[in-house]
Amino acid sequence: MPVKNFVVGCFKEEEGVFKAVKRVRTSGFKLHDIYSPYPVHGLDEAMGMRQTSLHTAGFFYGLFGVIAALAGMAYCTVHSWPLNIDGKPHFPLPSFIPITFEFTVLVSSVGMTLTFCWLCQIMPGVKKHIFHPRQTDDLIVMAIELTKDSQAEEVKKWFADLGAIEISQQRAEEGWWYGNFSMPAKYEQELEAGHPVTS
Amino acid sequence: MSLRYESTIREPLINGTKDFHQVTEDIVRPIEGKPGTLWYVGLYISVAMLLFGVFAVFWEVYWGIGVWGVNKTVDWAWAITNFVWWVGIGHAGTLISAILLLFRQGWRTGVNRAAEAMTIFAVMCAGQFPIWHVGRVWDVFFIFPYPNTRGPVWPNFNSPLLWDVFAVGTYFTVSVLFWYAGLIPDLATLRDRAKTKLRKFLYGYFSFGWTGNVKSWQRIEALFLVLAALATPLVLSVHSVVSMDFATSVIPGWHTTIFPPYFVAGAIFSGFAMVQTLLIVTRKVLHLEEYITLGHIEAMNKVIMLTGSLVAMAYCSEFFVAWYSGDFGEGGQFWWRVDGPYWWAWWCLITCNVICPQMFWFKKLRRNIAFTFYMSIIINIGMWFERFVIIVLSLYHDWIPSSWTYFSPTWADMGFYIGTFGLFFTCYFLFSKYLPVIAIHEIKHVLRVSGESYKQNMKSIETQPLPEFVERVSREEHISTGVGALR
Amino acid sequence: MKEQFVMPAKLRTISIVLLAIGILALIIGIFALNGPVSGTRFWIVLFFNAIFFLFMTLGALIVLCAATLAQGSWHIAYRRVIEAIFMAMPVFAIIAFIIMMCLVWGDKSAIYAWADKSLVAHSKLLQKKSAFLNPTFYTILAVIMLGLWTYFGYHIRKLSLKEDLSTAGTTKIFWKTYRVAAIFVAFYYVSNAVSTWQWIMSIDVNWYSTLFMWYIWASLFVSSIAVITLFVILLRNLGYLEWITYEHLHDMGKFMFAFSIFWMYLWFAQYLLIWYGNIPEETTYFTIRAWGSYHTLFYINLIINFCAPFLILMTRDSKRNYTIVAYMAILVFIGHYLDFYLKFMPGPLKNNWHIGWYEIGITLGFIGLMILVVTRNLSKAPLFLKNHPYMKEAIIHQS
Repeated sequence: MPVKNFVVGCFKEEEGVFKAVKRVRTSGFKLHDIYSPYPVHGLDEAMGMRQTSLHTAGFFYGLFGVIAALAGMAYCTVHSWPLNIDGKPHFPLPSFIPITFEFTVLVSSVGMTLTFCWLCQIMPGVKKHIFHPRQTDDLIVMAIELTKDSQAEEVKKWFADLGAIEISQQRAEEGWWYGNFSMPAKYEQELEAGHPVTS
Repeated sequence: MSLRYESTIREPLINGTKDFHQVTEDIVRPIEGKPGTLWYVGLYISVAMLLFGVFAVFWEVYWGIGVWGVNKTVDWAWAITNFVWWVGIGHAGTLISAILLLFRQGWRTGVNRAAEAMTIFAVMCAGQFPIWHVGRVWDVFFIFPYPNTRGPVWPNFNSPLLWDVFAVGTYFTVSVLFWYAGLIPDLATLRDRAKTKLRKFLYGYFSFGWTGNVKSWQRIEALFLVLAALATPLVLSVHSVVSMDFATSVIPGWHTTIFPPYFVAGAIFSGFAMVQTLLIVTRKVLHLEEYITLGHIEAMNKVIMLTGSLVAMAYCSEFFVAWYSGDFGEGGQFWWRVDGPYWWAWWCLITCNVICPQMFWFKKLRRNIAFTFYMSIIINIGMWFERFVIIVLSLYHDWIPSSWTYFSPTWADMGFYIGTFGLFFTCYFLFSKYLPVIAIHEIKHVLRVSGESYKQNMKSIETQPLPEFVERVSREEHISTGVGALR
Repeated sequence: MKEQFVMPAKLRTISIVLLAIGILALIIGIFALNGPVSGTRFWIVLFFNAIFFLFMTLGALIVLCAATLAQGSWHIAYRRVIEAIFMAMPVFAIIAFIIMMCLVWGDKSAIYAWADKSLVAHSKLLQKKSAFLNPTFYTILAVIMLGLWTYFGYHIRKLSLKEDLSTAGTTKIFWKTYRVAAIFVAFYYVSNAVSTWQWIMSIDVNWYSTLFMWYIWASLFVSSIAVITLFVILLRNLGYLEWITYEHLHDMGKFMFAFSIFWMYLWFAQYLLIWYGNIPEETTYFTIRAWGSYHTLFYINLIINFCAPFLILMTRDSKRNYTIVAYMAILVFIGHYLDFYLKFMPGPLKNNWHIGWYEIGITLGFIGLMILVVTRNLSKAPLFLKNHPYMKEAIIHQS
């Protein structure tokens, strides 16, 4: 993933962030992302994001679960080795319902959770750049990516006008990589050592 | 942005003057500090109990099921009683996190994390019993339907015992997923605060690289909601399936249609009692009284009262139908419960489960912490006896009077049971030390609406006349899809 | 904000016409439906409709009390509608009571085998059950239960109207309603068991199921929510309740969805255990329903009450769609009507069931009566509760 330059503004109140999101569209800055310690409702809409379709994925996993469970049991009890149990039919639907239900829920929830992890790109051992250690505590952190159209000073001033309490400029790798949070990432070591990092 | 308003008639969910940072500090403090002596003493006792349980199980595996008190007539006894009891306790957590989320009961935020953890540990304990009860435990994997060289012989999909494997297995998995998904943002909080290298590494590893960006929050909230929607029928189904272990048979005292919902009500009943037992101690020891308030305890006591009454009504209907059906076996079985050799077990159950919870009709008692604590233990004893009554008391007098017998547990029965307590509390002690016992991000989410200090701001809205208020909200952005737009 | 509901003339005409159709069907029925089978049909259809509509109104009271106890604020936005529905209870209670008395004291009907002295004399089982199933006990319990349900309805309505007149910011009445609701729920809880056993389960007198009481409860709860939804949508269409938004609609859709699943769960629990146990005393109930002449209705019942709400109301968009929710409410209402039909008819009528002019006429009559009484109740009080502590929460409610 490329290393880029960011200007980061930290907000204490949601109001400031909403104002900033509204203005960022007209200002011509490139909004990288916003980080918050808790879900801020309405921010996704304000940023123009569409609703997640995780539910739809869950539905199809569930559908797969129903079919797999019923087909699997039918294969065992009708085709592979039919047995007379209690004088009941070989495919006794009522007594197959509990397992079908459980299996559906299992497939659907495991599938959805994995899909969630994949979409959010989170996994054990994944590391991402943390713009501010308090973004998981009490600050709402907004990162603006610097492009050739936007100057750092200009963005900093813009943040200050909006009432950001802490403003900083950072050079960081975008996206995720495998890494250890107790050690600086490779590019960070290189930056510290003064080596230029290709972007 | 929506109007932050909640009626001032609702009790605050977070007491005291708090800001977000203070919330983090309060909840994280026990994790970052050193545990007290009490914690070490508790942990060592739990581990000792666990080791004793391991020995009892070893003894049972080595010598066979004969070391237990079960006999030819009463072939299911303590192990199954304990299994159902633990599974029942494991119902409160997911109920709190799933059903109460869907019903938007705000007070769940304070207690859901600990309750869910308790659920997972309780289900772990429950699972031990059927596994070791199979006798030849090295063949236990035969329950799974996999292509095999024995025919292939498939498990009996008609058997409620197999349904149980699927139900409890799914329940455990989904509970873990739900719990862990909620834990990820909080682990990230711990990671970003961590001072030592080891902590940074471990919390960093287990927080999966969570940053808290907008899209992730949107997705995780959707995930919570769908998992809750899936877990809600799952909670109902798990104990229903457990009840079907009994109810699908035609044994008097077992074969009755009310069993599924009645077991579920009983499970929630005992689960909430266990949550009370644990949280009353936890809030005291970890100084979380401002987050797990009297209001939370009262709300849980109301749930206990409700489910206790449901269970009581189920007892009544069982007795009524035993008489109404005119069935000889059924009538006999129920009469022996009241006035048979095991009369004491039945009366114990009635006292603990039917009479005691009715005391919660009084607000004074609902809000009395000491009383709640004792009551929660009494209810768990009562719910243990309920399962004992259902299982042993339906078996010991069967259709052949010459085989009637009496069941007494042996040390190995008790050792196994004590061992699961050890497992449960060992896990809980470790959880309460290394993980946040309250969902930090959920508290932050409700803080500005339900925090005590924030509720004072709502006075002005409260006094506004209704038409003016409607005018105001319909002008504001958040309700643009609402007033007037419908039609 | 329109505060007062005025009944539109058109709606009034429609409901009176429906009621007239019902009365006409009843009068023709008195003359046309005589003899052993037709006579039973005459009474059972009346009885079944009376109980069903009584339970709809009772269900509204249960919904209100349950929501009050759960400290919910979602229902406050349309609480007056719920109140208007359960305030129709006395009318249906009186009708049901008259019919019930005819059934147990006029021993010409074949609905309650236990009310027939000659049958009881020949059956040991009925003699054994006669301590619970006898006309005197039936009458006493019916008076107590119908009386108290109606009383609680009146009491809660009275408190609600009193709140309107009190000063703003008062919470005394709120807590009083809370306590009354708690007592009502406790009472309902016991009376639910007794009434369903004695009124409905005893139609199939040899059959028994411990779950029956909760199964009926689930049915009446979900169909009451459907009725409430229908009235709210009706009022919204007429230009009232401006503060009802998509959020409220979404909520009602959710409740219908959730409780349809809950109903299915109880239905299935009862069916599975009886099917699995396979004891002749118990399976008789399902033999005629699932494998007898009710076969088709039996499956339609499951499709309407479970498959349809489950699949259609699953998505967020459909729960926020005005038309879909309205049609689903009608479907759920019809579905549970059918469910009740399947509980009442097979016992006394066996295979001689009809859905003909008489059934439809009587049902239309009851629907007309319901609309008439409920809209009349609506016009008696302001549509919003201006002093309720949750009213503002209910307006900004988000689901």
